[in-house]
Amino acid sequence: MHNRYPLETQEEINQPQLICLWKDVSHDLRTQLGDSTFDLWFGEFQLVSVSPHEVVMLAPGTMYAIWVEENFKTTLISAFQKYLTACERVRFEVAVSSGTEESSGKEPVESERGREERTKLTPQVLVEKVSEKKLLERGRAAGLVEIFRFENFVPGENSELAWAASRAVADQPGKTYQPLFFHSACGLGKTHLLHGIGWESLRLRPKSKIIFVTAEQFANDYIDAIQKNALVPFRRRYREADLLLIDDVQFLGRKEGLQREFFHTFNRLADMRKQIVLASDCPASEINELEERLVSRFQWGLSVEIHRPGLETRAAILRRKRDDWKMQVSDELINVIVERVRGNVRALEGALIRVAMVTTMNEEPISPEQVAEIIADICDGQDTRQVGAEEIKRAVAEHYDIDVQILSGKKRTARIAEARQIAMYLVRTLTDLSLVEVAAAFAKDHGTVIYAVRKVKKRCDDSASFKSTVELIKRRLVRGGSSVESPRQPRGQYPPNFRLGSKAFGGGGE
Amino acid sequence: MKFQIDKDVFQDALNQVQHVVSTRTTLPILSNVLIEADELGLQLSTTDLDVTITKRIPAKVASTGSTTLPARRLASIVRELPTSEIDFEVNADNAATVRSGPSFFKILGLPSSEFPVIGEFGEAKEFTIDQKLLRDALRKTSYAISTDETRYVLNGVNCIIGEGMLTLVATDGRRLAMVEQDLEFPAGNESSVIIPTKAVNELQRLLENSGELKVAITDSQASFELNGSLLITKLIEGNYPNFRQVIPGQANHRVTVEREVLQSAVKRVSLLVNEKTNSIKFAFEDNRLAISANSPEIGEAEEVIDVRYNGPRIVVAFNPEFVMAPLRNLDQDEVFIDLIDESSPGVIKIDEPFLYVIMPMRVAN
Repeated sequence: MHNRYPLETQEEINQPQLICLWKDVSHDLRTQLGDSTFDLWFGEFQLVSVSPHEVVMLAPGTMYAIWVEENFKTTLISAFQKYLTACERVRFEVAVSSGTEESSGKEPVESERGREERTKLTPQVLVEKVSEKKLLERGRAAGLVEIFRFENFVPGENSELAWAASRAVADQPGKTYQPLFFHSACGLGKTHLLHGIGWESLRLRPKSKIIFVTAEQFANDYIDAIQKNALVPFRRRYREADLLLIDDVQFLGRKEGLQREFFHTFNRLADMRKQIVLASDCPASEINELEERLVSRFQWGLSVEIHRPGLETRAAILRRKRDDWKMQVSDELINVIVERVRGNVRALEGALIRVAMVTTMNEEPISPEQVAEIIADICDGQDTRQVGAEEIKRAVAEHYDIDVQILSGKKRTARIAEARQIAMYLVRTLTDLSLVEVAAAFAKDHGTVIYAVRKVKKRCDDSASFKSTVELIKRRLVRGGSSVESPRQPRGQYPPNFRLGSKAFGGGGE
Repeated sequence: MKFQIDKDVFQDALNQVQHVVSTRTTLPILSNVLIEADELGLQLSTTDLDVTITKRIPAKVASTGSTTLPARRLASIVRELPTSEIDFEVNADNAATVRSGPSFFKILGLPSSEFPVIGEFGEAKEFTIDQKLLRDALRKTSYAISTDETRYVLNGVNCIIGEGMLTLVATDGRRLAMVEQDLEFPAGNESSVIIPTKAVNELQRLLENSGELKVAITDSQASFELNGSLLITKLIEGNYPNFRQVIPGQANHRVTVEREVLQSAVKRVSLLVNEKTNSIKFAFEDNRLAISANSPEIGEAEEVIDVRYNGPRIVVAFNPEFVMAPLRNLDQDEVFIDLIDESSPGVIKIDEPFLYVIMPMRVAN
């Protein structure tokens, strides 16, 4: 059988022999591959020529040729080797006659007119696309709390400036206000804005390193680092942040080592034009025993105070909360709450939650009077804390380091008289009490009060230092009195009776 | 030339253009990125003479000018810089100084006049298409591009525009991936071009999930303009073979299977793939698919998954990598495998105009 095709003799084999050879080979292939495969791939192939080492076949199309070569080359060669022992290669030629071949729809392009101009491109800022989930993860890792986002913040006239500054800083960190410093009494939204800046920056620049910590956490990390002798990683962590958010910086007061560390962190970040945002419950200048160089740096950027929200803002905040929490409390009831609860937002929320709970437990709708009753204790605590003769007297007495009783007493040394006059002045200006009532509070007659008020006013005009003393006491009172501490207080000690309003001294606790 | 630029913007832009520069090149200028500063900002360009990418980004330009700097080196420097804003200054000798906080770099560049001029465009067919559409279509086809340089016409994606359709095809002779998307083009834009692999890869890097891109095609070049970037590529000359010859006709049997289930099962079984035949067996029967591999010297693996199929028992062998490649690049939960018999090509389809032809390996019984 092998000798039927006299290849070894180098003779040209003729057409009928080729057809015969292909018939033999295809028979073998058909047995090997099965009918359907053979018909699919080899049905239209022809044998064109045969030389001792090479077989040339005609394929019905280029793609056929490619696929057959890729998938059946070795099969084909071994099939031919049965008849042509020296066969090493199979080559394919493609039938060009078939009109269907080559799907290309190319037409020659004559015109060589150059493009009028290089394509104009518009500058574009690349923003890394990150899924919501990733953002959440990164935010949490940075210490951010989910609910404190800009979307959830209700700006009002009390926080206009702080709100605008927050947005500016989130938009362009390190470029506008360096640092941004918030201060206010507790529960007015400092922490919310800090977190909000964090989230917004993260949204705009998902790659940036954001750190949110309270000053206390910073201190703990620092102490930990000292203990473990690992200051290098500690410094790396804080000094490589793109945005450092620190809450309750008043905690830095009286801690010299911590202040030194923080000072260097601050400088390093400021040098790198990274953004720092700080929040405290009092202005930088009033933080106790804060190094002068830190005070000046805190005051270097923008310092913003958040005030107590007005009636409308309080109502807006509560309506938003109600909608967020899907509570069934009518606008009317909210108005009752905001009229009575004037303090911080936490107190407002507490009142709302209480009202909402009672509403869901009661079958019948509750009346405004009932609301007043439900939240009575919240309001009580507030009112006394707001302004009261006793409170003012206490504050003044603390400031002058004298007993409260002495203010109502008869001693008239210069120091005590000064304290008494300031106290009278403050009671007169900060409360709604009448002259007679003020006088009664100090066990004096109303003429003394008139004289005291006039005298304090005059001294304020004459002496800046006297004025600042009065202002200091006043501010502490108005802010609801966290962090009131006499500058004369011995370091690290508080008098046992040191209490203002219902809130124990403790530095905000936000 | 002097400018100030945001680090992230610069870094991202350099990342997008630096892949084009050749790693081994006889022309040193081709390793460089051309930086041109004008009033609007910066324009960065890289080229390997086949593919050119140009990107525009905003920058505060203090004085205009141009230079070229080593692209990869510049990208790695910028990546490590500590501040978010970088100051750049280039002197007349093309030495660039880079300042960022406490860091200072001086990088020696080459004059921009040595940078090759990007090829002029002849009369072009121009149209816009949806970025997501093109991105998906390239993703579903590009993995099947042949890497065999002797078949250079297959070293790219064949892109056919006409008859209200955009057709993209890639094949290497053992499998073929095709997307056929209904798309109205303005008349006169009919064309069939072969976009080379490198341009396909760069284009995929640039494409986003929204927006449009402008395409211009001549007989030897194509340009794609999108998101502030311009990619110009030479086209592969020659005719793409008629791929429809190898797409099997009507299938006899259809198997419906969950894509991810199939993908992970194949991946596991392929760990014991027979090194000689490089194939694993798929046995379809009665709503189950048994995938198995048997390597005489290593061991064997089998995994049975639930499918929807109620035809006769069919056993086919496929190269596992060829099965996984389309599965990885599809998003649909369910895929269909159409089979004629044990030795005919299988076809993977989805609910959208996509198909993937895969040659079975011969099963030694």
